[in-house]
Amino acid sequence: MSELKNIKKEWKAIMSCMGCGDCGYSIRRAVGRYLTCPVKEAKDDEGFEIYFSRGRMNVLKSVLEGKLPLSRELAEFVYQCTECANCTEVCHETHNENIILNTSKWIDHYKVWDALRKDLVEAGFAPLDRHKDLVEYMNREDMRNPYGEDNEKKFEWLAEVTNLKDKGDIVFFSGCTMPLRQQETLKNMIKILSAGGMEIAISRDEWCCGSIGARIGEYSSVEELMKHNIDLFKRMGAQTVFTACAGCYRTLKKDYPELLGGDLPFEVKHITEVMIDLLNNNKIIFDPAKTEQIKVTYHDPCHLGRHMDLYEIPREVVAKIPGVELIEMKRNRKHAWCCGAGGGVKSQFPELAKDISKERIMEAIESGADILTTSCPFCVGNLKDAYEDLGAEVKEKIKLIDIIDLIASKI
Amino acid sequence: MSELYQKLEKIVTKKFISDSLIVRHAYSRVVDPILQGVPEIVIRPKDAMEISEILKVANDENIPVIPRGGGDDEFGGSKPIGDGGIVLDMKRMNKIINLDEDNLIATVEAGTSWGKLDDYLCHFGLYTGCMGPGSGMTASIGGGISHQSVGGGGCAKYGTCTNQLVSLEVVLPTGEIIETGSQANKFSKFPFNRFGNGPDLAGLFCGDNGIMGVKTKISLQVYPRPPFAAYKTFILPRKDRQTSSQIMLEVRRKGIDVYDLMYIMDLIVRIGCEQGMFPMWEQLKKKRGIMFYTVEANSEQELDEKVKQLDTIILNNKAEELGPEISDGNIAKWHYAEQGHWQFYHNLWGMVPALEPLSCECFTPVTMYPKILDDIDQWDMAHNEDMNKFLEVTGQRPITGSGPIFLIDGNNVELTCGFTSFPSYYNETIHEEWDDLNLKLWKSLMEMLTKWGVQWYMMGEIASRLMVEIEAYLPSYYKTLREIKKILDPKTILSRGKFDFWGD
Repeated sequence: MSELKNIKKEWKAIMSCMGCGDCGYSIRRAVGRYLTCPVKEAKDDEGFEIYFSRGRMNVLKSVLEGKLPLSRELAEFVYQCTECANCTEVCHETHNENIILNTSKWIDHYKVWDALRKDLVEAGFAPLDRHKDLVEYMNREDMRNPYGEDNEKKFEWLAEVTNLKDKGDIVFFSGCTMPLRQQETLKNMIKILSAGGMEIAISRDEWCCGSIGARIGEYSSVEELMKHNIDLFKRMGAQTVFTACAGCYRTLKKDYPELLGGDLPFEVKHITEVMIDLLNNNKIIFDPAKTEQIKVTYHDPCHLGRHMDLYEIPREVVAKIPGVELIEMKRNRKHAWCCGAGGGVKSQFPELAKDISKERIMEAIESGADILTTSCPFCVGNLKDAYEDLGAEVKEKIKLIDIIDLIASKI
Repeated sequence: MSELYQKLEKIVTKKFISDSLIVRHAYSRVVDPILQGVPEIVIRPKDAMEISEILKVANDENIPVIPRGGGDDEFGGSKPIGDGGIVLDMKRMNKIINLDEDNLIATVEAGTSWGKLDDYLCHFGLYTGCMGPGSGMTASIGGGISHQSVGGGGCAKYGTCTNQLVSLEVVLPTGEIIETGSQANKFSKFPFNRFGNGPDLAGLFCGDNGIMGVKTKISLQVYPRPPFAAYKTFILPRKDRQTSSQIMLEVRRKGIDVYDLMYIMDLIVRIGCEQGMFPMWEQLKKKRGIMFYTVEANSEQELDEKVKQLDTIILNNKAEELGPEISDGNIAKWHYAEQGHWQFYHNLWGMVPALEPLSCECFTPVTMYPKILDDIDQWDMAHNEDMNKFLEVTGQRPITGSGPIFLIDGNNVELTCGFTSFPSYYNETIHEEWDDLNLKLWKSLMEMLTKWGVQWYMMGEIASRLMVEIEAYLPSYYKTLREIKKILDPKTILSRGKFDFWGD
């Protein structure tokens, strides 16, 4: 049996789970809780308890007690979790300023899953096949992205963009998903920011942030990527590094300092934080001819919301677009349903990821919105894949668009 | 793949059965920290017909079957006793089948959670009355009926879960499917009443702890949610145990249909404040017992009158009202208005890392619980040496006492007593002796309470066997129970080991 050194550190969380099962089944109208685990719900009738948190905690108790070894089979179950952290939210639901839930201090399910993934990797049961490819691509000098694309391709979008600098206070980190899959959104972003008078620096030498490695527990390469990127940002003179990707945002702002054991020498912002500053200072000028009334609902990316507590700023951005009425889905903010792409699920279990997204799209339609928007390219990609599967009837009811493109369409 | 597995797979198809070691361990525990039983197979059946076929195969193969709803019980009830057997995960059967809006009867599949039904009913201005077990909104309706559960709220007004039962569809251990109550008459158009057409056969399955049959379809009386409610919290004077009991009796004598009436003992208030859990009560100079009520009404006038009567009783007993807001200490508002369900247990159970409950939850008359609590104090002192063994390692002595004590049907309370303790895996070390020690203490406390004459409702593995072990059952009662079990389940297929009928 492996040393289990990482999950042993999480013993407080594992042994404090008393198994109430709210992470699988809780519906509590009074607090806006309508189920929790997107994977278990997508499994539908096949939703054995191993697919949600309590079942995995029971398994981990057996692992810690020496009754059950780590295995490839366990990895196959564990990597079907999107690490959306909704189980932590429901677990902590009774915590407030008047009545404290002490377990909220030591039960953080994400940390448990992260520790388990690290141990599975160290024991040789992970990464799973597809994840192994992604890590290899991320580490290859000619790629440095998990999509297996040539590194040069990541910067092709820059050919159509002007006014970007090589160095400066404000550095944009483009990540991998947007430049390789959603170039138009990036071009729109630069258009908006340039119109707002921002001077932005970007480098063709940025590497993948390492998010996929961190999410699947394969940290061996993350450190090298992190050091490279931090050195790069320093050389560029960055005071602020911003990104339009929720996954990169979490990795830069949360994982990097944790891995470094200290603060970064620059501030990390998400694009919505940059946008709101421009909007508040009236630096985004909307086209007065484009103010038709539309209802927009906002999907909270897990890596922005539950992982980073960034719920309100994206909403403020949406609400400031002329003609937009922001309406909420039944499950929003900390209760928001995951899109299904995170935790390595999209790459290893793409159909599961799409099934989860379909539920979110249907929820958006139920809200009465004309447009479903979000601020994460990974969510956009997965929701779009599901959207295509759902077909014409759904497309007639709702449109799916990145928050950046939504703004760009109004200027 | 075993022959048994192949036979079962044919019934449910391969997606809904698993013999994966990982899946089996996921189903090997319930809420208590020590009892474990790893099933051989886990199945998620879709309906009564499949369960019937599964049970027939189990009889042929002589393999036990254990139904599992929300898996929330605290007595080892919804996992195997010992390893092996088939766990029936009833949560696939979670459809709301019908709401009879005229007769106010909801019919659901047994794996439906109380939370799901309540959310559904609220669109019609209805609710379940008794809000189900106290374990959150995960517990299944089948599990609530199987345990006569209470604890989610509303039980002073509506009683236990089984009070609202109208009819049941049950698969008997040998595979026959029966219906009870009004549905025993094949000409009945819809479920409308539990009693009649002969004896109350539904009663045989209420609180049976899963030994007499697998509940598959349940019809419950539901109720209009009154539009007005008031909720107040009070700090009790000294001798809070006796005072709280006196208040409960006076409320019942006055005939006020209070929705909730709960007493929280001084120990909980004091330790909770010491652990920083109750900022809302930190301003209290003396950390004495707390009592709260919730009352509902159809008009403001009716509400005012009920509040006046309740306040008179409570204030005459020298309790002091806390302020109206949650921040003033009004936990009643937190339960009813903010959370919509009693959630207090969640906060109590995780006071320090790995501290989990070894519950002795039982029913007892209002007049008796103050004396029982005194006896629990004595029991705790008598077991100080054993308790200190945990203290030496963890720095935290297990806490003995009672969580919320609340009024249920008649003049009875649910006494959520027991002690909190630690599992054998603690701080990266396995303390094997702790499982035995916990079990010894748990059974000792349970035995003491049994000898007070309490009623166990959620009995599972531990309480059902203890009653037999210490010969607490009247021999005639136990003999009758065993004979009924023998008729219905000649091979003891269902929940084998509970009640230790044949030393199994």
